[in-house]
Amino acid sequence: MTIVSPERYGRVVIKNYSNRSGIVPVVFDHWLHRSKFTCRLCHVDIGFAMEAGATKISAASNMKGFHCGSCHNGNRVFEGRKIFGSCSDNSTQEEGARCERCHSLGKNVKKEYEFDTFIKRLPKRVLGNGIDWEEAEAKGFIKPVDFLEGMSIKRTPLKMDKDVSIESRGTWMSDVLFSHKKHALWNGCEVCHPEIFPSTKKGTIKYSMFQISGGEYCGVCHDKVAFPLIDCQRCHTKPVH
Amino acid sequence: MKKLRTCLICFAVAVIVCSGTQDIEKKTFSWCGVVHAQDGWKNEFDDVCSKTQDAMIFSPDELRNLIARCDKLKPLVEKLDETQRKVFLKRLQLCRDLLLFVLESKEKK
Repeated sequence: MTIVSPERYGRVVIKNYSNRSGIVPVVFDHWLHRSKFTCRLCHVDIGFAMEAGATKISAASNMKGFHCGSCHNGNRVFEGRKIFGSCSDNSTQEEGARCERCHSLGKNVKKEYEFDTFIKRLPKRVLGNGIDWEEAEAKGFIKPVDFLEGMSIKRTPLKMDKDVSIESRGTWMSDVLFSHKKHALWNGCEVCHPEIFPSTKKGTIKYSMFQISGGEYCGVCHDKVAFPLIDCQRCHTKPVH
Repeated sequence: MKKLRTCLICFAVAVIVCSGTQDIEKKTFSWCGVVHAQDGWKNEFDDVCSKTQDAMIFSPDELRNLIARCDKLKPLVEKLDETQRKVFLKRLQLCRDLLLFVLESKEKK
C-alpha cells in the first residue's frame, strides 16, 4: 500500500507512446472526471480498460474521436463550455500549449481546475481523495453524467438494489454488507461482471484481503481510485460475529 | 426524349455513386454503401448491448439469442478500421461476457 496525497489519489500516468513521440506522458486525475461522469461512461461506453496501460490510447485514436477524443474533440459542449480538443497533428505554438494540458508529467502546468479549490464545497473524508464521493452524490453536490451522445447506448434505468452479505473470515472483523445499488449506479453491470467478479453464487469465491490488497476483486478500484482498503468500516459494516 | 435521357443519366450516376465504392470505401468517404453498412452493425450493436441492464430478466433462450447476435456482430466489427475495431471489439466483448455471465448464473441455479 502506498500512501499518496489526496490530490494524487487515483492519478494515472499514461505513457504508451508519449516518450517515443518525444512528448511527456499524460497525467490523468480521476477526481475531476469522476465528479462529472460515471465510471461506466468511460469504462464501458468509451472503452477505457480498468487496468492502467491496457487501453493503448494513442493520439491517432483521440483524433478520430475515440478514447479521450470522445469528449475532448474541440466541439463537444459540457456545462455550457466547449471541451478542449485532445490531440492534433498541427504543431503550432498555440497547439503546443494545449498539449500540455494533458501531457504534463513533471511540468508545472496551470490547471483549469485546482484540486484544493475544487474540493472545498464537497463533503470530506479522511482517506483517499479526502472526499466522500458517495455523500457528495447523495447530497447533490455532484451529478455524474451517464450518457454521452454518439457513444453511449440508451438503456433502461438499472433496477438493482440487492445487498449481498459477505461473511468475514476473521472473528475480530465484522461482515461485509455489499451494496449493489451503490455500485451499479456508477458502474452498471459490465464493469464488474464477469471480469472482476466472475461468480455471483454465494460461497463460490473465497475473497481474501491478501488478494484484494494485491489488486484483485474489490482491489481493482479500491485503493486505486475508490476509497482505500484501510477505511475498513465502510465495507465491514455488519456487527462482529 | 430529353427528359428520358436526363433521367437515365441521373440514374446511372446514382448507381455508380452507390454501388461502385467497395474498393474506395476503406480509404475515403462513400455515400451509400458505407453509411448503410455502418448503420447496420451499429444499430444491431446498440440494440443488443442496450439490453445488458435487463439481462437478469431474460430467459436462458433469450440470452442465448443475444449472445449469438454478439457473435454475428464480431466479424463485422473486425472489418472496421483499427481504432474503431479496438474500441468496439472491447465494448462488444464486455457486452457478450456479461450476457454469458448471466446465462451461466441462471443455468447454475
